[in-house]
Amino acid sequence: VAVPEETDASLPPPRVAMRVVDRPLDEGSIDEVDAVVIGGGINGTGVARDLSLRGLRVALFERNDLAFGASGNSSGMIHGGVRYLSQSPRVTETSCRDSGYIQHIAPHLLFRIPFLMPLRAGARGRIAMELVDAYFRAYDDFQPLKHGEPHCRLDAPDMNRLEPGLVGGLIGGITFDEWGVDGVRLCVHNAVDAIEHGAALHVHTTVEEIARARGPTPNARYVVQARDRMSGQSSRTAARVVINATGAWAPVTAALGSLPQARVRVRPGKGIHVVLDRRITNYGILSEAIDGRQVFLEPWQNVSVLGTTDDDYFGDLDDVRATSEEVRYLVQGVARTLPAVRTARAIGTVAGVRPTLYEYGRNEDALSRDHRVVDHASDGAPGLYSMIGGKLASYRLFAQELCDRVVDSDFGILAPCTTHTRPLPGGERVPNALGLAEAYAITPVAARRLVYRHGQRALRVLDGTRQQAAYRDVTCPCEPVLEAEVRYVLREELARTVEDVARRTRLGLGACGGLHCAARCAQIVAEERGLGAPDALAMARDFLARQASSRIVALGTEQARQEALVCAHVHAALGGRT
Amino acid sequence: VNAATPGRPRQVIVIGSGIAGTAAALAARSANAAVTLIDGGPGASVLWTGAIDALDWQKSAPVVALAGGDRRVLDALEVLSVGDGSCRLLTTAGLVRPARGCDASLLDVAHCGDGPVGVVACDRPGWHARSLARAWGQPFAALDVAIIRFADESILPDVDFAARHDDSERLGWLGNRLREALSRIASQWTALVLPPLLGVDRPRAQGLSRHVGIACGEALGSPGGPPGARFEMARNRALPAAEVQVVRGRATSVSRGAQDWSVTLYGGQTLGAEAVVLATGGVLGGGLEYAPSETRLATALPFAACAPLRLTFEAPIQIGMDGRRIDPPGSLFGYPPERFVGAFARSSPFDRAGILVDASGHVLGQTGPLVGLFAAGDAAADTPRSWLGALASGVRAGTVAASC
Repeated sequence: VAVPEETDASLPPPRVAMRVVDRPLDEGSIDEVDAVVIGGGINGTGVARDLSLRGLRVALFERNDLAFGASGNSSGMIHGGVRYLSQSPRVTETSCRDSGYIQHIAPHLLFRIPFLMPLRAGARGRIAMELVDAYFRAYDDFQPLKHGEPHCRLDAPDMNRLEPGLVGGLIGGITFDEWGVDGVRLCVHNAVDAIEHGAALHVHTTVEEIARARGPTPNARYVVQARDRMSGQSSRTAARVVINATGAWAPVTAALGSLPQARVRVRPGKGIHVVLDRRITNYGILSEAIDGRQVFLEPWQNVSVLGTTDDDYFGDLDDVRATSEEVRYLVQGVARTLPAVRTARAIGTVAGVRPTLYEYGRNEDALSRDHRVVDHASDGAPGLYSMIGGKLASYRLFAQELCDRVVDSDFGILAPCTTHTRPLPGGERVPNALGLAEAYAITPVAARRLVYRHGQRALRVLDGTRQQAAYRDVTCPCEPVLEAEVRYVLREELARTVEDVARRTRLGLGACGGLHCAARCAQIVAEERGLGAPDALAMARDFLARQASSRIVALGTEQARQEALVCAHVHAALGGRT
Repeated sequence: VNAATPGRPRQVIVIGSGIAGTAAALAARSANAAVTLIDGGPGASVLWTGAIDALDWQKSAPVVALAGGDRRVLDALEVLSVGDGSCRLLTTAGLVRPARGCDASLLDVAHCGDGPVGVVACDRPGWHARSLARAWGQPFAALDVAIIRFADESILPDVDFAARHDDSERLGWLGNRLREALSRIASQWTALVLPPLLGVDRPRAQGLSRHVGIACGEALGSPGGPPGARFEMARNRALPAAEVQVVRGRATSVSRGAQDWSVTLYGGQTLGAEAVVLATGGVLGGGLEYAPSETRLATALPFAACAPLRLTFEAPIQIGMDGRRIDPPGSLFGYPPERFVGAFARSSPFDRAGILVDASGHVLGQTGPLVGLFAAGDAAADTPRSWLGALASGVRAGTVAASC
């Protein structure tokens, strides 16, 4: 096996000179913007929004879909980072502070997840209780920043009253407060706001080269060549500033600009979650895995989620999948505290790769969750930046740090950040879901879920039903998702495939695994995009196959029969993939 | 009970009430056996969507003529329509696909001419006439007809809505509606396709077609719809008519007594017979259970490594696939499911695993203590997913069980 050698960061890294292109040769086909952002995750969309709000012209390129990587496959919390309190209190503080801002700009998107941390009785139990209590007293200092409740100390009977399924001879426990969020929606809101402030976002478009520009216009320093992976169409965009916000892909992207990869080195850490049908507990529950790591079960939206693993990842970033090994590790860890998870019905898994800051010789869990802006001026590429590390909870601050620097040193303008005060699209006001249900003759559940995902914009989604009564149809009964919303995300939120729609609406991610909605959703996608029927069928099959492979690693007795039913139905009504 | 009294007809017990079990029971009756069928509730056949496939329909295979015994079972069940050639069905996923036959209320577009086919538009969940017409392509076009008579019918489950059309007055009303709509159209239409709603008690497509004057039928819908329910009703008529005794209950064990076989039901009742046909289905049917060792009793550490599939009742037989048993894994935690099951595989153990049988459908070991035990349908290993294949294996097992 060829293992890349460990390079000493102090030595000048071998480097290929960046290609120089003469811009005027091809002037007609070049778009010119102030900044190109590469990556449509939370950092990329956050930066695109921030720069757009400050009045810069931005183009963003995303190789797959918005929130395709870590942003859309996280634990779904903008947690305060209690875990990092002892190693890097700065991460905890910035996470908590920004969590407070996110509540302000997207109030509809957050939901409270109170956590229980059970403690086992025994010789060290009482000491552990005191230590944990003291630790959370320190965390309480940060809670006001994110409008959370201070922690509570509970005895064993209280713990069992709150969650009767807990086992393990508890001495008692501690409660603490976190906020849940849909990471995909957060990305999409940022992307939509950027578009509404003039940015051009290109999804399913991969950057092929970042070259130095030479031409009469002094503003543009770089030319970015990109290709739409669906249509095959290439484009060239000239920009003064290029920002590499590609998370775990950061070194891959840096190579496209012939930049030294060692400067943007990340240590990709794979994390998986197991999704169980329905909310099986009222509280998030912490437990200890076999290796002593902390794992948890959290009620999240209308499902329960087991998380999280953290393992070095060397695989393909475009195709990250959970394995049954990882699922068993999590189930084993949580079952020690809550045995019911062994027989609970798993309806899927999600997997993502964290772009953790690089460090050799440390355990994955001990790595810093801090973030860093790499200025490539010292690599001879002024105006080129890479964002590495970071957490969902502090994305806004990370974007602000970078954008403050860009507007000041690259554009020399005075444009203060407003991303923490201006609401995200839909966050202006949270409409009354029951009122909407009545006004638009839809079910209260559908209305409630719609308001969760779109806030005030739920009204715009539902306006579609005024023109076409058929748009009130429920396309996905599990979530539920209305046809109006499917069409809305295709028209307004850059979705292009069934999988993209699922990412934005949670269509097909429920208990039926897409049995009832994949084909129908594909027909709508085909209609909106002017595709043919065979393309729609292929898209539906791809989605169903992808979902099946995410479920099968968590296959248990409870869902095996349904898995067989999905398979039988798909073979009868769609046919297998050819 | 000593079943083997001279002069008495041979006693056969069939476990399973799906297409294979029903075929086995009817075939055994044709061979003059006294048949008891144990109906353990809905399985794969009741979740059937209406297509009768002989082989994998995506591969073009020659149309094979039906054997006489198979034809007799189809006739007894009356709801199943299998012609001499293949037919073409419309799926609500947007596909026009071939099949060997279909439920009698389904529209077979291979046999209704070349003219335009109307897709009846109505406000029903999962039914989008315009999109479907577009997906099926030429010559389909949406036709607006108000076929919803009462407000609740927009949200009523398919089976309940279909049951309303068992009423002849209601079916006549529907026919009038369709005729009115057709009379407003200038061109000559050859057929109408409707959502799955044409009867539960009996297929109503033929009656409706006569009333309207052109072929009317359903599209192939989701599992749990009217075709499965119609099969259930037809079976519930055909079995008593053939004097098959039906016992409702789940078999918990099948064991060999001194001279005959005994089958114990949940609750303790025991039945005896000289031959038993196991038509208990696979994972979907409920005859097999996916249970890797780690899930048994939900203990932290499993007792032993075992094959991840097992029978849902006790019986002295082996399950496996590809003609051999599934080896227990070298791990207490079973095989990794992604390797064992395979995500979305064309052919997974969920379809192929079952009771090990020889080429003639006999449970392996027929010459020894297992004489008189047979397996049919998805219960037998390595049978492809095929309605006709299950039916034929039932006929074969029932015939042999009644005569050997």
